[in-house]
Amino acid sequence: MMRRLSAGTLARALRPAVAALARASGSVLALLAFAQAGAAWAETGAVLPRAANGKPDFSGLWQTLSTADWDIEPHAARKDAPAGLGVVVGGEIPYQTWAAEKRRENFEKRDALDPRGKCYLPGLPRANYSPYPFQIFQADGDLTLLYEYAHTARRIYTNGSAHPKGHIDWWLGDSRGHWEGDTLVVDVVDFNEETWFDHSGNFHSDALHLVEHYSFIDPDHIRYEVTIEDPKVFTRPWSIDLVLYRHVEKNFQLLEYECYTFDHERFYP
Amino acid sequence: MTDHRTFVLITGAALALSSAALGEEWTPKRLSDGQPNVQGFYRPEIAGTYSLVRPRRGVGVRDQEEYDKRKAANDVSKSRIVDPPDRQVPYQLWARAKQQALEAVVLNWTQPEHIDPQARCDPDGVTRTIFWTQDFEIRQYPGYVVFLEDQNHTSRVIPLDGRPHIPDQIKLWMADSRGHWEGTTLVVDVTNDNAKHRLSNEGDFSSDKVHIVEKYIFTGPNSFRLEQRYEDPSVYTRPWTLASEFTRAHANQPGYELWFNECQEGERDVEHLYHGDKTKPY
Repeated sequence: MMRRLSAGTLARALRPAVAALARASGSVLALLAFAQAGAAWAETGAVLPRAANGKPDFSGLWQTLSTADWDIEPHAARKDAPAGLGVVVGGEIPYQTWAAEKRRENFEKRDALDPRGKCYLPGLPRANYSPYPFQIFQADGDLTLLYEYAHTARRIYTNGSAHPKGHIDWWLGDSRGHWEGDTLVVDVVDFNEETWFDHSGNFHSDALHLVEHYSFIDPDHIRYEVTIEDPKVFTRPWSIDLVLYRHVEKNFQLLEYECYTFDHERFYP
Repeated sequence: MTDHRTFVLITGAALALSSAALGEEWTPKRLSDGQPNVQGFYRPEIAGTYSLVRPRRGVGVRDQEEYDKRKAANDVSKSRIVDPPDRQVPYQLWARAKQQALEAVVLNWTQPEHIDPQARCDPDGVTRTIFWTQDFEIRQYPGYVVFLEDQNHTSRVIPLDGRPHIPDQIKLWMADSRGHWEGTTLVVDVTNDNAKHRLSNEGDFSSDKVHIVEKYIFTGPNSFRLEQRYEDPSVYTRPWTLASEFTRAHANQPGYELWFNECQEGERDVEHLYHGDKTKPY
């Protein structure tokens, strides 16, 4: 990403020279080359959406195109999952021995045990790569994330406040963020141990600690990187890396995926 | 530039007039997109969703005798319904019978369908949610008003850009909202309500054809009056209007945080509720 932005900067710096060359030579080709370079800058995020306070503005509707919700590790297609290259950096989650065994059991019984099957809140980071859109509303001191899945709601404070005195058992943890340049960095703790990372039984304990990084690739793509730490379950911290795509359809909006009400008609004929 | 200034002066004068008519002197701060800034937490004057007509009927009633006593002790003088004049929901005959049948089994249910869907943590719809929730926050963003409720982590996203409603085939628990500002009043047009929730614990209901027009009339920096006009010719004999006052909450607690509550996630009795097991009253 840095290299592409640098190329854009270089091209911008060369703009007067290219224009002068085009003027001098009357070369249509040079102008064409410049126009193409200009389009490339726009795509590489030379002009990022920014809030009034100068921070990148992540407001909008987002969704993953990955198959991480089914399995965050690389996997071939199977009866209950589309294939995926995986979003785990390095491809493998460093489980402790007992935890690798538990994960195997979870996988075998995934249809019955996946907490998402009960329509419980999805936990993090799974909420961000579930196959449903979510909307970010950004204010000076916080971001509010609303998800189509079960009205999941999350707030990320960026007002310098600290985590509350814990431990608190929360489905989505407690999120405190800050800006490092144009990257939003969010520290998340205070999880319960009820959620999974995916439908393949990848799990954590209540000692889960996330550090999320949100940064623009270009105005319509967010790079979402998360460092995952849980000394009760993993031998070392590991990370995931994926892309969130902006919904650019006209009048796109959140609907509802109120899965725990899908049996309503059974009880209210 | 001059024209613009004249427009602002005239608009300002109009605003001042309407404020004066309401007996309030209030000039709201404006957000970058021109919306009056009304952000913050609010509470209803009378909270609770037991009854539209007798909102003070109270909590904790567990047997029929106490229920009847409370009902008799609370007349319609505090009814949330301000129109029609008898302050009742103007049900068609069949609909009144259905509402009364639902109310009769609220405490004596024998079938799963007798149980108020609220007890199953189902989203409560636009009316009941705002009266039920503990913490209710209004947030404003360019082109949007967003309502956030701690209860059931429910929310409403209200676009202000004049876009059309979603297609009629889609019905939602929290319906589909489109808003615009008229001075310091937020007017919200609500359609696409799935109407699977009830409007109170007493079995009040609408159909999924209901059309609700809400007015959030900000009467000062710390208060608003909510008026909701319900129109549904398939259920009511005429439109009716509900009204209630709200005041600012947590105003003296800077840094107060909205913490979302789970509901169905912690519901250990849901299996019994779902199967109508009478040995596990809710």
